[in-house]
Amino acid sequence: MTVVAGIGYVLIALGPSLSLFVSVISKKPFLILTVLSSTLLWLISLIVMSGLWRAFLPLSSSSWWPYSLLIITSVGFQEGLRLFFWRIYRKLEDILDAFADRMSKPRLFLTDKMQIALAGGLGHGVAHAVFFCLSLLTPAFGPATFYIERCSKMPFFLVSALIALSFVTIHTFSMVIAFNGYSEGNKVDQVFVPVVHLVAGLVTLVNFAHEGCLVGIPLLYLMALLILLHCGKMAWRRLTENRGRLESSQ
Amino acid sequence: MESSILESIGVEIIGVMSPVSICMFLVVLLVYALSPANPFSTPSSPPIRTAANLVYLENPSDSTAQKLEGALLNALVFVVIIAVVTFVLVALYYFKFTNFLKNYTRFSAFFVLATMGGSIFLSIIQHFSIPVDAITCFLLLFNFTVVGVLSVFSGGIPIILRQFYMVSLGIIVAAWFTKLPEWTTWIVLVALAVYDLVAVLAPGGPLKLLVELASSRDEELPALVYEARPVAPPQNGGSHRTNMGLLAAGFSQPGSVEMQSVSGNSGWRNDVDGSRDTLGNDEGGSSRDGREEISPLVSNARQRRSSSSDSPEYSAVNVSTPNRVGHFGDRDSQIEETSPLVEAVHAGNQREQAAMEDDDADDNLGLNRGIRLGLGDFIFYSVLVGRAAMYDLMTVYACYLAIVSGLGCTLILLSVCRRALPALPISIALGVMFYFLTRLLMEPFVVGISTNLLMF
Repeated sequence: MTVVAGIGYVLIALGPSLSLFVSVISKKPFLILTVLSSTLLWLISLIVMSGLWRAFLPLSSSSWWPYSLLIITSVGFQEGLRLFFWRIYRKLEDILDAFADRMSKPRLFLTDKMQIALAGGLGHGVAHAVFFCLSLLTPAFGPATFYIERCSKMPFFLVSALIALSFVTIHTFSMVIAFNGYSEGNKVDQVFVPVVHLVAGLVTLVNFAHEGCLVGIPLLYLMALLILLHCGKMAWRRLTENRGRLESSQ
Repeated sequence: MESSILESIGVEIIGVMSPVSICMFLVVLLVYALSPANPFSTPSSPPIRTAANLVYLENPSDSTAQKLEGALLNALVFVVIIAVVTFVLVALYYFKFTNFLKNYTRFSAFFVLATMGGSIFLSIIQHFSIPVDAITCFLLLFNFTVVGVLSVFSGGIPIILRQFYMVSLGIIVAAWFTKLPEWTTWIVLVALAVYDLVAVLAPGGPLKLLVELASSRDEELPALVYEARPVAPPQNGGSHRTNMGLLAAGFSQPGSVEMQSVSGNSGWRNDVDGSRDTLGNDEGGSSRDGREEISPLVSNARQRRSSSSDSPEYSAVNVSTPNRVGHFGDRDSQIEETSPLVEAVHAGNQREQAAMEDDDADDNLGLNRGIRLGLGDFIFYSVLVGRAAMYDLMTVYACYLAIVSGLGCTLILLSVCRRALPALPISIALGVMFYFLTRLLMEPFVVGISTNLLMF
């Protein structure tokens, strides 16, 4: 029974990304490699951040402002990393296009580019879920569960799985939005992504309040929904534009 | 819509990475499942003695300096034993005791599958209280072993089965190695990575000698190696050809990510050895071709035929194909001006030429044997991950990512260097580094944050 519960928590956190992986990513080896490398990049960023903050740990769990500082620096660092990832991706795109020309194959389609962005985002999201949620889930497979005082209505594992799911969604789709924003030079999208990321990070501070998770988690899902809607709208617009352009060129 | 380029890049890399991932994953599961009530070494029973801890048996009460010294000695002895045995095997191969090597490897595979695998099965059965009687269990194990031995060394067996048994051999040996004491494991891993580097790259290194010997004799490498070949022959040669240029891939030269010797329990060795004489008779008729194409002689001949340059095969084909297509185009336009009848004739002609071109591509495919990875690499990657699994899931994931990215780097280097490369050093270095970084830096950070339900 407890094993079932553990698997359930894992699937809550990673189920959607798993289905995304199986249905979109796993068919194209290159996308798998993208997922792996972006996961590695995220891991490195986490290690760097923890290296920076190691000296100040453990923070006292009574005051919340050091944590807010921590979240702001970490999000800032990760957004910088996103820019770096974009630079690499630009180089890669050129190489791939040149390669496609050499093989007399079509260049990257718009959908290909979006899929690469999606894979990059998925890597970030999966890394987040694995390190923040899955790594703490090991006791959940054992014969007990665990509650924390501040959120006494739900088991700790369930809460962290739910939060991880919202962050996986945010990470995955914000990468698509960001890459699109960079390539179009769209300033709104370029700012939108870090802001949402930062706000989502700060919203988790609500969990410090007693029973704050009952407010914090819905707020987080609101952010995730916002990202999803924005991403869907943008993808729809790009695809219809693209189709229109293709038809007019024929 | 034409297939996009994304689908064809990196097929080989994934072909190598997925079995490695499967192997690591199963070892981690095994370690997790068996560690609570570890039937091999319950705290009361004395720790096992293997070739890897001949000198020093780690004791939890020993001081750090003692542990370090003992682990270093252990690693030294282990590497020396491996080096000696590898030299002996190379000598045997040099004097053409190929049959002996082959049978010896069969015996080792039998031994690993039957005894080590058997004891692992037994402990699984005990742990999960699976109701099986002794006779059934023996029969199943015997069948498993016999099929394994056959599949590893003879033709006519589907490549997928071969790959399955390679992975299970890796899992079994790795599961045994995870029972080494902690310090010894880390030092032995690092020592092996260094040894691998020397043995493959230094002049006179045993593995380098072995590879050169095998390629000068036009023979397969006499070793247990995992071969990442497509299970089904790809439908169109074109897409397959694509893979090769970018992101590491096939090679016509004898290139393989190098194998690494493995030592088994108590001085008994299941080193990579023997001869791998099968090269897939599984693909029906085409496999014959494949085997013939492999000898460098034939490849040289074709190289001369298709292009005078001494560039690698794939680029030669790449260059020649567009030329030919362009040629068709020219002729097409000429003929269109004449008459439809001639055009029909020409179409036939064209088909013939296209067939020839396909043939060329097929030849190319036959040469492109895929990437080969020594079984030892599987084992030691899995040992590292299995050892990480005894600490935490976080370290497992970090080590997995590090190892896989190291493997990716090695494969990319392979496509640049086009020669046998050691697969252990980069991966092990990254894996060990990430393990300690994760354990020392990241864990307190992440646990401290996420137990407060903070994330970002």
